[in-house]
Amino acid sequence: MATGELNLHHIGVRFGGLVALDDVSLRVAPGKVVGVIGPNGAGKTTLFNVISGFVTPSDGSLTLDGKPWRPRPHRLSGLGIARTLQGVGQFGGMTVLENVMVGVRGRRAEAEAFAALDRCGVAQYAAVRPGTLPYAIRKRVELARALASKPRILMLDEPAGGLDTDEIRWLGDLIRGELIKDSGTTVLLVEHHMDLVMSVCDEILVLDFGKPIALGTPGEISTNERVTEAYLGAPA
Amino acid sequence: MNQFVYLTFDGLSRGAVYAAFALALVLIWRAARIVNFAQGAMAVAAVYVAYSVTSATGSYWLGFVAALVAGLALGVIVERVVMRFVDHSSPLNGVVVALGLVLVIQGVLGIVYGSEFHPVETPFSRDAFEIGGIALLSRYDLFVFAAVGAVVASLTLLFTRTPIGLRMRAAAFAPDVSRLLGVSVGGMLTLGWALASAVGSLAGMLVVPTELGLHPTAMDVVFISAFTAAVVGGLDSPIGAVTGGLIVGLLLSYVSGYVEPTVAPMAVLLLLVVVLLGKPGGLFSSSKARVA
Repeated sequence: MATGELNLHHIGVRFGGLVALDDVSLRVAPGKVVGVIGPNGAGKTTLFNVISGFVTPSDGSLTLDGKPWRPRPHRLSGLGIARTLQGVGQFGGMTVLENVMVGVRGRRAEAEAFAALDRCGVAQYAAVRPGTLPYAIRKRVELARALASKPRILMLDEPAGGLDTDEIRWLGDLIRGELIKDSGTTVLLVEHHMDLVMSVCDEILVLDFGKPIALGTPGEISTNERVTEAYLGAPA
Repeated sequence: MNQFVYLTFDGLSRGAVYAAFALALVLIWRAARIVNFAQGAMAVAAVYVAYSVTSATGSYWLGFVAALVAGLALGVIVERVVMRFVDHSSPLNGVVVALGLVLVIQGVLGIVYGSEFHPVETPFSRDAFEIGGIALLSRYDLFVFAAVGAVVASLTLLFTRTPIGLRMRAAAFAPDVSRLLGVSVGGMLTLGWALASAVGSLAGMLVVPTELGLHPTAMDVVFISAFTAAVVGGLDSPIGAVTGGLIVGLLLSYVSGYVEPTVAPMAVLLLLVVVLLGKPGGLFSSSKARVA
């Protein structure tokens, strides 16, 4: 049986009079990398918040592995779903290792947390408080924290923000290499960095003012006129 | 010199109790950002449970254990039934509800047990040992130090060495991030209240026999001293609470001994004012501004 299959059916979210998401449907197939892109305010993070259970949709429904599903934030981890945050969101009063250990259960929590830091190339900072580290290192710690729970669905919210070209290449290699090929993790990616999105995604959903305007492979999206219009404005 | 040594040991013994009580306030502040003004009344309720159990069985220790269990239970009930539903948009809301709880708890205790003072026994003698003609500590003082020391050590181990302590710290620091990591933030909050209430009950068990006796308002003055201790140390800091407790204990003892016992509570209030004016974050506070 396929695991890690997530379906969104006609999701709508309204905040008072503001329509944040309007009739968004998406199938995230197991083991695939699906990107969600769109200009600022398009509703990408709101979509992540719906899947994380922080926002309850006004319309529509979700299914996980084919079953109806109402997400709750503290249950995600138990279901094998991990999410990184746009801001790095680390616990300032704890060491890097402790930050990662918060999300790992069992007797081997420390070893597994350390292994996740090692996979992300930041094991040498295990005993350091994250607040003292450069932003790019903290982004790696954030990724390690999400990976430490060995998720089957990984939601990455702008993981490339604030990273340089080499760091982004490393991130792309991690997503396409170790995460996908080796462990079959399903990845849902919100990202502004187009090179990364185009190089790692199997499928891309484009949102504009909360509405889905395109869904397709990177090749299809890059030549889609509505997408170009949304990003660059309509031709005069 | 003899008097100074005696007052110092006496102050440290009192201070240890204030430290435990201040620690209870800090535990809840860190977990919920509420100063639990009902802590004193909750502790008294637990001491009344101990009083009932000890009266019925004749065993101080059964009463002692009953007080800690009652403290845990009361913490769970207060958090789950009352505090969880307080609107946290203003810090005053939690304070007002806690003060309301004080009235309810003291009222119920008055109805059930009456409002006269009940003398409470101590498990060990309160007669001080004399070394070289100087009165130092009693067996009971040693018991107080051991009990408070055990609590401080246990809490330190819990928060720094155990997964559950790690998750309690995480839940208090960033609830939403913690939820995403699978932490039951509500559960951690309840646990925090239960632990704090049990520690407060222990402080009540230790201090009530040394004061006028058991009465629904027996912890009111102790609360002021312990609150001062927590503020002196910085409400966020467990080490600060312990240090603040010892400072307040010593201050009370010295002022009682060298000036006048009736002036001692005013000295505590003066210390509170001086700290709030000079270093409002407390001696052990981080640089982050306090919002409440």
